[in-house]
Amino acid sequence: MEALVASAVGIMTAAGIFLILRRRTFPVILGLSLITYAVNVFLFATGRLALDAPAVLNKYEEVPYTDPLPQALVLTAIVISFGMTAVIVMIALSAYLSSKDDHIDMTAQDSVDGAGEDA
Amino acid sequence: MNHWIVAPIVLPAILAPFIIMVLRYHLDLQRIFSVAGVVALLGIALTITAQAAGGDILVYELGDWPAPFGIVLVLDRLSAMMVLLTALLALPIVLYAIASGWDDRGKHFHALFHFQLMGVCGAFLTGDAFNLFVFFEVLLIASYGLMTHGGGSVRLKAGVQYVAYNLLGSTLFLFALGTLYAVTGTLNMADLAVRVAEIPPEDTALLRVGAVLLLLVFCIKAAVLPLHFWLPASYANAPLPVAALFAIMTKVGAYSILRVDTLVFGPDVAVTQGLLGDWLQPAALLTLAVGAIGILGSQHIARMTAFCAIASMGTLLIAISLFTETATTAALYYIFHSTLATALMFLVADLVMGRRGGAIAPTAPMAQSGLVSALFFVGAIAMAGMPPLSGFIGKLLVLDAARDALDANAIWAVILIGSFVTIVGLARAGTLIFWKSHDAQHNPAPEVDDDEEAPTLPAPEPNPGLAFTAIFGMVMGLVMLTLFAGPALNYAGKTAEQLFTPENYISAVLGGEE
Amino acid sequence: MSLFLIAALPFLGAVFPALLIRAGRNAAASAAGLTTFLALMGLLIHIPSVMRGDVVTAGFDWIPVLGLNANFMLDGLGFLFALLILGIGLLIILYARFYLSREDPMGQFYTYLLLFQGAMVGIVLSDNILLLLIFWELTSLSSFLLIGYWKHLPEGRQGARMALAVTGGGGLAMIAGMLILGNIVGSYDLSVILQNKELIQASPYYMAALVLILLGCFTKSAQFPFHFWLPHAMAAPTPVSAYLHSATMVKAGLFLMARMWPVLAGTDAWFYIVATTGLVTMLIGACIALFKDDLKALLAFSTVSHLGLVTMLLGFGTKFAAVAAVFHIINHATFKAALFMTAGIVDHEAGTRDVKRLGGLRQLMPITFTIGTIAALSMAGLPPLNGFLSKEMMLEETVHTTWLHSHYLVPGLALLAALFSAAYSFRFVGHVFLGPQRNDYPHHPHDPPVGLWLAPAFLVVLVVLIGLNSAAIVGPLVAVVSSAVIGGEKLPYYSLKLWHGFTPALYMSVVATLGGLFLLALHRRGEQLWNALPRPEAKVIFEAVIGAFTALSRWITDTLHNGVISRYAIILVAFTVGLGYYAYTTGTIGPETREPLPIQIIPFIGWICLVGATLAIMWFHRNRLLSLVLIGVVGLIVSMAFNYLSAPDLALTQISVEVVTMILLLLSLNFLPTDTPWDSSAARRWRDAAISVVAGLGTGALIYALMLRDFAFPTISEFHLANSYKGGGGTNVVNVILVDFRGFDTFGEIIVLGIAALIIFALTEAVLGTNVRSYLLNRKPHWPQSGDSHPLMMVVATRVMMPIALMVGAYIFVRGHNQPGGGFIAGLVVAIAFLMQYMASGYTWAIERQRFYYHGTIGWGVLIAAATGIGAWFNERPFLTSDFGYLHWPPLEEFEWATAILFDTGVFLAVLGAVMLALDSLSRFAWQPGMAQEFPMDINPLRDDSKDEDKKEQA
Repeated sequence: MEALVASAVGIMTAAGIFLILRRRTFPVILGLSLITYAVNVFLFATGRLALDAPAVLNKYEEVPYTDPLPQALVLTAIVISFGMTAVIVMIALSAYLSSKDDHIDMTAQDSVDGAGEDA
Repeated sequence: MNHWIVAPIVLPAILAPFIIMVLRYHLDLQRIFSVAGVVALLGIALTITAQAAGGDILVYELGDWPAPFGIVLVLDRLSAMMVLLTALLALPIVLYAIASGWDDRGKHFHALFHFQLMGVCGAFLTGDAFNLFVFFEVLLIASYGLMTHGGGSVRLKAGVQYVAYNLLGSTLFLFALGTLYAVTGTLNMADLAVRVAEIPPEDTALLRVGAVLLLLVFCIKAAVLPLHFWLPASYANAPLPVAALFAIMTKVGAYSILRVDTLVFGPDVAVTQGLLGDWLQPAALLTLAVGAIGILGSQHIARMTAFCAIASMGTLLIAISLFTETATTAALYYIFHSTLATALMFLVADLVMGRRGGAIAPTAPMAQSGLVSALFFVGAIAMAGMPPLSGFIGKLLVLDAARDALDANAIWAVILIGSFVTIVGLARAGTLIFWKSHDAQHNPAPEVDDDEEAPTLPAPEPNPGLAFTAIFGMVMGLVMLTLFAGPALNYAGKTAEQLFTPENYISAVLGGEE
Repeated sequence: MSLFLIAALPFLGAVFPALLIRAGRNAAASAAGLTTFLALMGLLIHIPSVMRGDVVTAGFDWIPVLGLNANFMLDGLGFLFALLILGIGLLIILYARFYLSREDPMGQFYTYLLLFQGAMVGIVLSDNILLLLIFWELTSLSSFLLIGYWKHLPEGRQGARMALAVTGGGGLAMIAGMLILGNIVGSYDLSVILQNKELIQASPYYMAALVLILLGCFTKSAQFPFHFWLPHAMAAPTPVSAYLHSATMVKAGLFLMARMWPVLAGTDAWFYIVATTGLVTMLIGACIALFKDDLKALLAFSTVSHLGLVTMLLGFGTKFAAVAAVFHIINHATFKAALFMTAGIVDHEAGTRDVKRLGGLRQLMPITFTIGTIAALSMAGLPPLNGFLSKEMMLEETVHTTWLHSHYLVPGLALLAALFSAAYSFRFVGHVFLGPQRNDYPHHPHDPPVGLWLAPAFLVVLVVLIGLNSAAIVGPLVAVVSSAVIGGEKLPYYSLKLWHGFTPALYMSVVATLGGLFLLALHRRGEQLWNALPRPEAKVIFEAVIGAFTALSRWITDTLHNGVISRYAIILVAFTVGLGYYAYTTGTIGPETREPLPIQIIPFIGWICLVGATLAIMWFHRNRLLSLVLIGVVGLIVSMAFNYLSAPDLALTQISVEVVTMILLLLSLNFLPTDTPWDSSAARRWRDAAISVVAGLGTGALIYALMLRDFAFPTISEFHLANSYKGGGGTNVVNVILVDFRGFDTFGEIIVLGIAALIIFALTEAVLGTNVRSYLLNRKPHWPQSGDSHPLMMVVATRVMMPIALMVGAYIFVRGHNQPGGGFIAGLVVAIAFLMQYMASGYTWAIERQRFYYHGTIGWGVLIAAATGIGAWFNERPFLTSDFGYLHWPPLEEFEWATAILFDTGVFLAVLGAVMLALDSLSRFAWQPGMAQEFPMDINPLRDDSKDEDKKEQA
């Protein structure tokens, strides 16, 4: 089981990074959400894997519980990353609409609006 | 029950929603409340600084859960000082943003501004690693909003890059926290320190990975080479008052490095030896070099100022990377100076850009060029570390602290040559922007005097008086920092001493039970 | 008057001229003059004690940590220089009042001048070398302002930049030198340093300190090869040239060498570096000066030459030489300042400084002629003028100096230099004042008003008096200054007489004078020769170097930060992976301590789908819609995995977030291009793939290693499990952690979400405020839209489901504390319920029925959460302390309440508002005219034709 999870994390990370290295905004956004899945699973798995042991207290009998803390952290992480994704999507969209160009790279005239001359 | 510690976080957290809900359509009221909020924050900051100055470390257990199980805020000299710096920085900037009308060029400026302050203060105060992550995210997302404030295609494009790069950083942060938790089973920094110190040998490899990832995250924030690439484009294209506020964000990275390296992965912790010490110093030297070269090589004043920020971070990180008490004292003094100086430079750059565009090239003369050039001169002096402003003292302190270091020669050479290049670059920019402009008109007209305005050219700001007052305030801050360098260094020295005796911190947080 | 006040007065006074300029030029000038006069008086008060040889001191600890104390001291040396600075300063202020023209902003001028004056006084009075450094750099800065005073002249700009670069750079070197010196001695106080000659000269760092400090002095005093900046500094107004670049600032280097003489001098290194530099400078300066036609350039190079002379004398390291140096400093200050002012007068009255266009001014400007001639002859070293005396002493000393066993080298070259200097002095007189009168002067020359010639006249009187009776006039001063220079030891025998008998020096003087006249006679021929010689033009070289360096830095900067973020990201990833690997390999890792769980078939199938989908995304990422769908698949499987691995809360959250994210991305994709073109080469793609795979392997291996090992210490979550119910009042530990144990995280997190929504709203406003709006209104969607944008079935279904969905949300919310669920998930579910209405029945329809504003919802959410936290303050508990209890209302069974629920309500509202505001803003982009008229379940016949229209257009 661990092997599956680990390999899944690895593969999602790899794919995510590959997409992040593209030159257009949309694939980069997809890459970011992929790598977000990867890190969420990673963080979740740091509590070690357990089957049928949800961290919901059982009043009646002694049962094993999985580690609840990473789950809480991942929950926070998921929500935060949702916000982040929404923002970058929106910024990218606005950038595209304002410049009709969804390249993510800044070109020279983007960064500098005038050349200095020495005297 | 001393609730002052949480106040710097709660105040903006309440003020910002209030501004959104009630004052959404009243800019004037927003401005009043925003300024009032910053003033209140300043008052709080002064209070907690006074509380921390005594030297005892105050702990605030949120939700009344004992550390390490709940989240704690920890107030020691360092965090108090940083919160104070944040408030001191925020006041002139918010005034300037109002005076220059920047806050009116988009929605929700003041709300985002206070959320940003909340994130920064939280990052300085929290004693919990994951909570630090949360506050990083708060200040980051607020910065995304502020950075793209007002829109514009280039700014938005820069915004995309800024967000994308920092999202990578946040992801890295989670990887790091996950690894650290998976090894040590805790998130509280003090507890982490205790457990790292007695980590069994078979777990060191994984622990070191976690540690180095965490430090990398902080280095991204602190714009250490080669992780600084996010900075120039985003600062140069952000609204410059916002860029001025961002002067504190790089310091959050520096603070975290300082905190974690003195508390958790300290110099005397065997397990994490050589994770930072080995490469931070060369990286910091490179940072300074690249910053200085960038100052000389920039063709745009905003971009040049961004490189000023990088260069001063380089100097700061050199001091930090020495990891001695004297060097840390120097670093703490320099943090104050570099934050104010960078912010000042950005505000002056905004004055220039509002008047004549940002190109470092001769153009027609500008309104109040005498006053603006004088301010630029002051800012440049501060940036280049020339006397009589605090930059010079800071530089002397760093040089003095580095004299016993192994490669003192390299450090001295880089710092001194770096400031030489900075001087040349800033002199070039200044002469081209302010003096060359007189070629534009053929008769050498009289230069306006420092205290009178050119009647022909109106100032672009709606309220130039307030704008200049705000900037003068920042200058005064630098002057005070110079005049009262003695007391300031005294405090910094005590702070460094506190940092280098982490036992007190740990026992204060964990109640000395471990 | 306290030394502080003397040093501070100019700085304080600097404010007034700038302010008083409104009151007129005289007001500004007299303000400056008065300040200087007061400072001068304050200095003169100390004459008795100084002449007694006492050292006046004043000081306080400024930065003890650094050893930077504001200590001042006044001894003979300091007194002499302070006297020069303030005295000549006074004359210059008078002179400048009449020199500057009406256009020049005089207020600024005097402000800068006083700033400079204060800095100079600070240098010569400071008793702490760090303090001295501060004033030292200040002089560089203020001279930068003064040289660039005429901002409209490019020469001024370049000269100012050059001067700043050279002197400022030298200052930086000196910082290092001073720090080293301070470390050797263990104090930065001069009075201490001067007591430790042996310690310093024995130290291994002596050489480094010496060289660095000398760099500072040489650059400041324009010693070869740093002499080139001084002539270009002459672009400044003449008063500035006279003051800074002959009388005071350039003497700062000499001052410092004299100051440090007791501890640094006397070694071979000192002799060969300082004396040789001085000698070479003296020679080269004199030689160049002879062939300069610009009067000020001529004087500038002669200044360089005389500075070299003094440097050489100091370099000799003998006491007698030191005395000679002191004496010459005094003399040079008098005649050179007078000469500069004369040149200024000529320039002012005749309208040119070009020797070639002058001549025969003797009758036209008799007063100026007299002043200039006397000063020039003193510079030439003719008796009975003061220049003669010190030159004699200099020549006398050279005779006794051997350089690398050669007895003739030093005297010979010194003689040559003296010869040149006589020649250019004569030229100054001959080619300007003597000769036939001309009629092509730019202006009609005549003597200036008294205000202009008074100052130089005064100096010339001094020149003569000192020459005639030096022992009486400056004898005591020279004595006390010299003893200060040589460190209070016994003075050597010397006599300030005109006649010493037939000494070698006398013969040399005669030779020099005659040779000078001879050279002048041959001047024209010599000039041809000189012009024929190839000479490096220092300024051109300097500008070229700086320009090249600037271009280089620009190239470095722009190539390094070329805006290609994929490269930045690659560097980040590579750096991270590399350091991670290093950290891993430098640690030790033990064996696995946990049994892996068995792999069952269902999860394995899920794994296959996940991997397949992920790889497919990599492969098909250019088809954006498809890759979006695939992302959805991945998210779905991830949430199923969470559920399988006993994390039901995560599963619920993940899936609902998934839905919202998908809607968001679909909406945005609606405006973006439908597919990604190839714009990276195959090689680049392979490189990227390689890096990604390495990073993937890294993370995979890391988590694998972690999962198969136990915690090194008991994890803190055991406490959470143990206390969730009795401490937090909930059985769903995850939820209790979220709302109670780590409620503060959650608090921050809903704020993040709220901020996200605000940003999106603000961006929408910003974008729709621009011309983008019209583009959006007229744009054609990628795909032809369906005829009924609001399908009947869907509308009905969503409206039926609405209450159910709301109820589910409520249920999930309430059970959250004890069962999987909670504020987030509830918020998302409800949000989705609303979104369904948007999608099914249309934006307009939904908006019309919207009863609340999302800003408010977010705000309330955050405020409620905060209020819950603050509530705890009122029963003396920290922020966010929760409270809970049990109610028993028959016939209901036991019912539990917890303030955490209130907190969770805040979470719920914030999440709901944020999601809705975000998607609401986004859908405002999609709004187009015509939508308003449609209502759900309408059929819009036009839409069906749109396909045909497209075809027509394509045809």
